[in-house]
Amino acid sequence: MAEITTLIQIFIWGLTAGCIYVLMAVGLNMIFGVMKVVNFAHGEIMMLGAFTSFWVYHYTGLNPYFVMFISMLLVGIFGVIIERYGFRKVQGTGKLNEIFLSLGLIYILQNAAVKLWTDDIRKINSPFSSMTLDLGMMNITYDRIIAIVFTALILISLYLFLTRTDVGRALRATSQNHEAAMLMGVNVNHMYMLSFGIGSALAAAAGTVAAILTPFNPYMGTIPGIMAFTVIIIGGLGSIPGAIIAGLMLGLVQNFTIFYFGGAWKEAVAFVLLIIVLIIKPTGLFGEDH
Amino acid sequence: MKIPKGTILITSLILAAIITAGCTAPTDETEVPDSIKIGLVAPLSGGASDVGNDMKQAAILAVEEINADGGVFVKDYGTKIPLELLEGDTQTSPTEGVTAVERLITSENVVVLVGGFSSGVTLANQVPAAGKVPYIITGASSSQVTRRTEIDTSYFYHYCSTTDDYSQPILQFFVDNLKPLVAADRNLKLALIYRDDAYGKGVIDSSIAYIENNDLPIELVAQEKYPTDETDFHTYLTKIADAKPDAVYTVGFVKDTSSIYIQGQRDVGLNTIYMAVECNEDPAFYELLGEWGNGQLLESKFAPYAADYTAMIKPYKEAYLAKWGVMPGMMGADTYDGIYLAVSAIERAGTLDRTAVNDAIKQTNESEMLILMEGGNIAFDEHNEISPKIFIEQMFWNNETEELRPVIVLPENLKSQDFVLPDSYESGG
Repeated sequence: MAEITTLIQIFIWGLTAGCIYVLMAVGLNMIFGVMKVVNFAHGEIMMLGAFTSFWVYHYTGLNPYFVMFISMLLVGIFGVIIERYGFRKVQGTGKLNEIFLSLGLIYILQNAAVKLWTDDIRKINSPFSSMTLDLGMMNITYDRIIAIVFTALILISLYLFLTRTDVGRALRATSQNHEAAMLMGVNVNHMYMLSFGIGSALAAAAGTVAAILTPFNPYMGTIPGIMAFTVIIIGGLGSIPGAIIAGLMLGLVQNFTIFYFGGAWKEAVAFVLLIIVLIIKPTGLFGEDH
Repeated sequence: MKIPKGTILITSLILAAIITAGCTAPTDETEVPDSIKIGLVAPLSGGASDVGNDMKQAAILAVEEINADGGVFVKDYGTKIPLELLEGDTQTSPTEGVTAVERLITSENVVVLVGGFSSGVTLANQVPAAGKVPYIITGASSSQVTRRTEIDTSYFYHYCSTTDDYSQPILQFFVDNLKPLVAADRNLKLALIYRDDAYGKGVIDSSIAYIENNDLPIELVAQEKYPTDETDFHTYLTKIADAKPDAVYTVGFVKDTSSIYIQGQRDVGLNTIYMAVECNEDPAFYELLGEWGNGQLLESKFAPYAADYTAMIKPYKEAYLAKWGVMPGMMGADTYDGIYLAVSAIERAGTLDRTAVNDAIKQTNESEMLILMEGGNIAFDEHNEISPKIFIEQMFWNNETEELRPVIVLPENLKSQDFVLPDSYESGG
């Protein structure tokens, strides 16, 4: 039987891994919730966020956590452009077109990143990388604490934006019923662009956090992208609280699985969890029954 | 009938001209090709593309050096012919690797293949070349690449360490150098953490076999395998820390191994000795590790950061640095040698016929180049394997230059200092 201190350590590792899943999945759900579009290239948007942060950090020397917001802004704008000149053009022409567009984006973005930044392994040096907080039973790096705090702050900001602002309400209205939102004077095309921009900005935040914590290259987004899909299906398509709960749950379940059953089960357990949830509640934990 | 003397003379001259021409110049059938095509099989994209680029850059350097000297003399054509390097990008994927090798063989008609990184990828992509095209494998450590029995391996040459080659010196190093310092009166407690692929399993299997067969005083206290795309090693290392090892033996590539070293010491507090395997002998490894590599170990067979220990190291390092702006890595050094081995075989064969070139590679007996050999000569044994000399390097962080650099602590005849325990070391107890 493992000691309680070891289990607390695993809990902390699971929580920080979950933060990246949460940022990814909430972004993906923003896009799906409003546009009903499945963006398979969300992992590559995350990668783009990491490299944008790396690039800005490299040339300006600014604090990487400040750089993260610049990256969120730039990648958010990039997301708006993708929506406007990509997904908008194929929206309503059939799900297959949307799927192939996003699949094509995976390769385009990966190759573009290799061309721009090469596929060398990169890292972002946080000024806090060598600083740890001694909790007695364990050390936790400041970077991990900041990752958890920033994730919480970003989610709280998103919640306030969606519930306390007119634009946020318009986004939620579009998410619930496009036609009704249009009849109420909401410009749904603007909402599509905004949701894609916010979703991409959240992916950029996830990418930057991941890039500060571990080395990365242009292929870093593949697995987190797949896991983000698992999270939103477990949590319920379109549900942001569902994505948060499922993201944290997946991070914890994966890390405890590694501890008790070994790393070979890490990815398999995500799908075991998915299947169990779908059998019990086919619309996901927080998905609405239709 | 009397034949006029003039006719005899003319006929004799024509015959002599034909015979002489046959000896020194090509006929229409042996038109001199524009180039000799050599296929480079490497992961130029995908997860291991950093290594693939090192291989590519080293191969280009070798080809340019050879072409600067006019190319390769081929007796059949009586002239030197320039080399042409054709890239086969495996995309770090077994299936894409097969496609790349098939294209090099059938569409590009290469004479010889050089490269092959990652055992899992190479075990797949060598299949199209089996029994057809000589393949000098410079970056796949599993001994299965030349010992598998379900395909013809007579055209495959293993120009890199096998998993057996480096498991043995690593484990022996632990017993001879670490155990006396930290576990003199008990077995050394060793933890293994490795990639969940053919390479990782190959190294671990041969290590365990070596410990058991030689009754080494080593107790394996943890064995953790991780998915090849893993970036977060905290839970694996927490589990290992629970087992209280005296040392951690890691089997992974640059990105994963450097993360293990850092996350283990900084986050988990596992302040022990970490040993990495040779594919991490790469500038990126030193760069990523930074001060977290201080006092830690690396097994290698090419140590350009440590010393100019043979005459070829310095000019190679300078030429590579001048051309590519970065220091060379170990996989590139293997590949560089591999190109020269291929060229030597073509020259000795005197033809571009693949079978003859294959026979010539088999009979290689050359002086060692960038990779040092036990005995000093490159020769392939009955398994088409070489006997490379293995180094153990200990890395030290220089506060003034803010660089991590290694020194050789094994073998005896090349070492610049003895292994020392890092200040931060905590014994397994």
